[in-house]
Amino acid sequence: MSDYNWKEMMAILFSREIEDGDRITSGAHTEIFFAANMLAQKTHAPNTKLQLGGTCFLCNVSDQEIDSLPKTSTDYSLLKYAETVHDHAETFIFYGPPGGEEYYKEGSTFRDTNHFWFADKFFVGGIQVDKYGSANLIGLGEPGNMTFRGPGSIGINDIVATVRDVYVFITAHDTRRLVEEVDFISFPGKKICREVGYMGGGPKWIVTPKAIFDFDPDSLTARLHALFPGVSLDDVKQNTGFEVVSNGEVQTIEPPNRDELEILRNEVDKTGVLRA
Amino acid sequence: MQKPKRKEVTKSVSEAVAQIEDGMTVAVGGLGADNHPMAVVREIIKQKKKNLTVVGSATAGLDIDLLIGAGCAKKVIAPYVGLEMYCPIGHNFRKYAESGEIEIWECSEYILYAGLFAAASGQDFLSWHGGIGSSVPKLNKDLVEFTDPIGGKKKYLAVPAIRPDWSIIHVGWSDAYGNGQHVGAPFGDRWLARAANRIMLCAERIVPNSFIRKNPFMTSVSYADCVVEAPYGAHPYAAHGFYHADDEHIKDYVNCSNANRKGDTKKWDDYLKRTTHDPKDHVEYLEGIGIRKLLGLYEHPVVSW
Repeated sequence: MSDYNWKEMMAILFSREIEDGDRITSGAHTEIFFAANMLAQKTHAPNTKLQLGGTCFLCNVSDQEIDSLPKTSTDYSLLKYAETVHDHAETFIFYGPPGGEEYYKEGSTFRDTNHFWFADKFFVGGIQVDKYGSANLIGLGEPGNMTFRGPGSIGINDIVATVRDVYVFITAHDTRRLVEEVDFISFPGKKICREVGYMGGGPKWIVTPKAIFDFDPDSLTARLHALFPGVSLDDVKQNTGFEVVSNGEVQTIEPPNRDELEILRNEVDKTGVLRA
Repeated sequence: MQKPKRKEVTKSVSEAVAQIEDGMTVAVGGLGADNHPMAVVREIIKQKKKNLTVVGSATAGLDIDLLIGAGCAKKVIAPYVGLEMYCPIGHNFRKYAESGEIEIWECSEYILYAGLFAAASGQDFLSWHGGIGSSVPKLNKDLVEFTDPIGGKKKYLAVPAIRPDWSIIHVGWSDAYGNGQHVGAPFGDRWLARAANRIMLCAERIVPNSFIRKNPFMTSVSYADCVVEAPYGAHPYAAHGFYHADDEHIKDYVNCSNANRKGDTKKWDDYLKRTTHDPKDHVEYLEGIGIRKLLGLYEHPVVSW
C-alpha cells in the first residue's frame, strides 16, 4: 500500500491513537479528525464517546452507514449520525475530568462515573506552533499592530484547561509555521499548562504532514518522535524553525495497512474528501 | 365585555431593523456556515447602520465579516471570524483588524459564553478557568485575572457581562407571539437570546400558535420582542432542516471580499450593490438568486417532530 496521501496517513495515525471508550471532541473544519474518529469507531473503538464538531451532536457511527465524510462541523447532515444534541456552550462547562485532577494521575479510575463529557482527546490547529506546543490563531506582529490578523482563538484555550491529551496539528510543515516562539498564544503549550496548574495535560504531540514531535518530560519542549513514511530527517530539520532534537533513534510511522485503508475509503470517506 | 387580545410581534424585515439604532450592541446567532439570520444582516447594511458593536456566535461566519466589510461595525466581540473550509479567516475581518479600523474584543468561545451567561443571570461578571496562560487576557483588558478567593492557588478570569441590545436569532419557525423553535442544532443561540435586552427572530415560517403548542418542548426561544418571516432567510448559509449552504454564492463572497482586502473595492462594492442595496426587499434578493438555485438547495429534514 503506497497509494495514499498525508491526510489519509494522518487520519489513520490518529485513529490508532484512539482507545475504546475514549471521550473525544473533534473540532471545527477538521475532516481529518472526523475521519480518524469515525474510522476508530468502525475498526477498534466502537464505544468512543464522540462529539462531532460545533453542532454538538454526540455521534456513534460504529454500525451506521456514512454517505460522505462531513467537511464542516456545523452541517445538518451530521444529525444522521447523532444520538443526542446539546447547546454548544455546554461543551465547555462540563468539559472536565470526572473526579478532578486525580483522573489524570490515576488513569481511568473515574472513567465510568461520567457518561457524557469529553476529557480525553482534542485536536488543535494553528497558524504558528512553537517548541512548547503553544498554538497561535490570533495573528502575527505586536499587540495593537498586527501585520497578519488570524481568525481568533475559537475554543482551544477553554478546552486545554481540562482535556488530558491534546494533539496539535498543522497542515504544512515549514519554518513559518513551526517557530521558536509564537507571536501570540491562543493555546498554551505544555510548560505553561504546568505553570498555571491546569488539570489538563497540555499537548501530547505536534503532528505535521512530515513528522510527530512529543515532549521532553524535563524541559517540556518538543522532540522528534517519528517521521512520516518517505520523509527524511534532513527534510524535517530544514523545515523546522526550532532545533530538532530527538531521544535516540527516530522511528518511521507504520504506513496504512490494507484493512485501515479499505475501511477508510469504502466506509468512512466514500466520496474521497481526503483525497481531493 | 371585550376580551383583551395578546400582542402579536410580527414585523417586516425593514420595520424590524428600523428599531436598531446606530451605536447599539447587536448579536448575530448561528454557527459556522449554518443558521445565521442573513435577511436581517443584509437589511442592517441596507439601512446603513453605523458604529455597531457586533457580537458574533462562537464560530462567527461571513455574517459578521459582511457587517464589517459594509462599514457597520466599530467593535467585534467574537472568538473566530471566518468560514472554515471556504475561507479560514474572514477577509474583511483581516483587512479592518490589520488597519485598526475595528476594535477587537479578544476572547475564546467560553469566554464569550461566560459573558453572555453573566448578563443572562444578572451578574456583573462570571469566573472562568480557561484563557489563563494565553495571550487573550493580555490583548483584552476587560478580562481581569484573579486568584481563587476561597483558599486555592489557581488563577481565574473575571469575564464581564456581555449584554446585547438586540440578539438576532434564526429559527425554523415561530408563532406571532415570538415563540421560536429550532429545527436543527440550537448552537449557542439560546445563550445569545437570554443575554439580550431584546430578541429578534428571523423565521423561515410564521406558524399558528396551535402548532407551537403541539410541542412546547421544542420552543428554544420564547417571547421574542419581534419576529420577521423570511423564507430562505439564512441564504447563502444553510438553515438546518430546510436547505443547505449555497457553495457557489459563498465562493463568490470569498472572492469579492478577498479583492476588497487587496484594495480592489470595485468587486466588493458590486457585491454589496447586487445583494443588499439594489434589491428592494428580501423577496427581491431571492429573485436575484433565482428559483432554480433555491430549489436545488432543498434539504430533507433528518428527524421528525
